[in-house]
Amino acid sequence: MSVPVKITVAEPSVVIRNGMISVIKMLGSLKAEIFEIEDMEQLKGSLAWQTPDILIVNPAALGVFSLAQLRKDSGVAGMRCVALQSAFTDNALLKSYDEVISVYDSAETIREKLTRLVSEPEKDRRHESLSNREKEVIVCVIQGMTNKQIADRLCISTHTVITHRRNISAKLGIHSSAGLAIYAIVNKLVELDDIKDCVVEPQDE
Amino acid sequence: MQILGQYTKDDRMCDLVSCHYRVLLVMSRFGIGLGFGDKSIDEVCREAGVDTTTFLVITNMLLSEDTAIYDPEKLSLEALLVYLQKSHTYFLGFRLPGIREKLVSIVDGAGDLSTAIINYFDGYIKGVNAHMRYEDEVVFPYVRALLAGSIPDDYRIEIFQKRHDQVEVMLTEFKNILIKYYPSESTNELNGVLLDIFECERDLASHNAVEDMLFVPAVAALEKNVEA
Repeated sequence: MSVPVKITVAEPSVVIRNGMISVIKMLGSLKAEIFEIEDMEQLKGSLAWQTPDILIVNPAALGVFSLAQLRKDSGVAGMRCVALQSAFTDNALLKSYDEVISVYDSAETIREKLTRLVSEPEKDRRHESLSNREKEVIVCVIQGMTNKQIADRLCISTHTVITHRRNISAKLGIHSSAGLAIYAIVNKLVELDDIKDCVVEPQDE
Repeated sequence: MQILGQYTKDDRMCDLVSCHYRVLLVMSRFGIGLGFGDKSIDEVCREAGVDTTTFLVITNMLLSEDTAIYDPEKLSLEALLVYLQKSHTYFLGFRLPGIREKLVSIVDGAGDLSTAIINYFDGYIKGVNAHMRYEDEVVFPYVRALLAGSIPDDYRIEIFQKRHDQVEVMLTEFKNILIKYYPSESTNELNGVLLDIFECERDLASHNAVEDMLFVPAVAALEKNVEA
């Protein structure tokens, strides 16, 4: 039901890193897609494409990078940062983190901490029902209309059409017009005759 | 499990296959049949005329989803070419048509919906076809020319690297559409085709990984050698 939570574990020690990862995998209630980073130099670059929901990082290994700077540079909005504490750490250093996990925490404690961190955005993600406008846009898209044509038909700007299409993709997880055609038929937005000329080619080709 | 999932050439082939049935896919692409008794991986490969190192590297990558970088010079590009080309035949000539056939029999009678679903899948097959045909007609001949010692002016493996897309992505989308939106009571047939799609998606991903992580670096290394 839930979308997997993307978690990046940045920790130079292979033992601790893999330990953390297998604990996360053990937590049945939390579906996670896990990335690992060994080399802190790569942290900034990797975050940009991994766009994790949660970053679990060794605060000592972060070294000269400041967490605030890292959040800003990575450009990942809403990323929550967890310090993975395996040694004594200056409390001042931990203040900027959203949560602290110690290597001595029990699996249950870790589950509670991680679940608390992800509980808010879950609500946003469940809004999947489409607005009427979005349904109209889908019908146009599967008829093979261009963004410009859709804009003219619905009397809105091309920019708005693009925004609608982006929201539709995000809500449904469907990116191709052939996929939208299936959705539209299942949900009785259209009859097949309406989409005879439907483009079946994948969009990216 | 062997340490770190690494099999070596002295392990018995039958142990490898019994523990990891997905190796069957690798074997058929190298033209290795069954019935190898107690022979080691090395013996079986040599008898089939397959480069053992290449076989092992691909197998270990498939099993551990290992992203370690292998020394590209140790791989046999000839063997890789055979492997990749047979993979293409497998997907286009066997796997995808098989899935399509099952789909047709499941959605048959669903009217508009069945047309839309088959349309989608045909569009997908068309995409895969174009993707693989490009490799068959452009990339592989280029590599063969390199192997023969000449380096064509108009192509470099870098071009391929840049345009190589993830062919399994649309299959993932298709699978998600079926799971989320296909209105049906649970039937064995629909589940069967979904399982096939899951398998195929994984296959395609590992096929792509072989291309990106083994084939491309090996060709790049060869380019350097030929140019020097």
